[in-house]
Amino acid sequence: MSTTTATDYLLLFRGNVWDRGLSPAQIQKVVSDWMAWFERLKAEGKCVGGHPLEEEGKVISGKQRTVADGPFAESKEAIGGYFYLTVANEDEAIEIAKQCPGLEYGSVVEVRPVADVCSIKQRAEEYSTKELAGATA
Amino acid sequence: MNTETTTGEYMLLFRGPHWDKGLSAEELQRTIDKMIAWFEGLNERGKVKASQPLSAQGRTISGANGRFVVDGPFTETKEAVGGYLLLQAGSLNEAVEIARSMPTLRYGISVEVRPILAECPILQRHPGLTPRAKDRAERADELQIAATA
Repeated sequence: MSTTTATDYLLLFRGNVWDRGLSPAQIQKVVSDWMAWFERLKAEGKCVGGHPLEEEGKVISGKQRTVADGPFAESKEAIGGYFYLTVANEDEAIEIAKQCPGLEYGSVVEVRPVADVCSIKQRAEEYSTKELAGATA
Repeated sequence: MNTETTTGEYMLLFRGPHWDKGLSAEELQRTIDKMIAWFEGLNERGKVKASQPLSAQGRTISGANGRFVVDGPFTETKEAVGGYLLLQAGSLNEAVEIARSMPTLRYGISVEVRPILAECPILQRHPGLTPRAKDRAERADELQIAATA
């Protein structure tokens, strides 16, 4: 797999239940640390945006376009929020992710490079190039 | 719980980035054209705040101080997030209707619609907490003023 040249990364925070079993003082510390972390990254120009997501929401799927309710609150896998980073390289994005104050209490951070082109569009183009090559051969 | 956001923003997470498997080149091209038209239609109506595909590469970080760094997520899974769209909509219902009009749903993709919050939901669970470090500092100032008065 080729290394990416993208400098934009999305941090997806998974596991919205890190507060379970913590004292109010501990929760206050994590929340304050998280906000301070966000404000610092913004001030440094490394984070251009971020938001928590509402625990309720909908999932749409299938040919019938079925609409189902969350739930997103109880799952360890659920995405609870995101940061949008603009950094020098992947190492820097990972170093920032490692600073997440929720990690100690079970949060998981997914670091995803933002792509310039949709991978499916890319595959479709490769596909048609191959077909063209086949047709002209 | 209130699901209408204060900002009118909704995050659409597209799950299942391999919906193109098994499609002919023609069908794939037609679907991509439909997707582009769908997206441009939303954009013209001022509904799109941001939208990008995510690369299949990435890392997952967990554990205290982020001591576990592994490759992944494994984007071949149906649950993997392949892209996002930050939507401006009047209500959750409108956001859901927009998600339902997406052309690739029939190929197995699913869309998660999540209202964007101005404040962390952890705070909703624990109403006694102070939202921001800044507010806490302001409150400390007030207390100090009150103490010196």
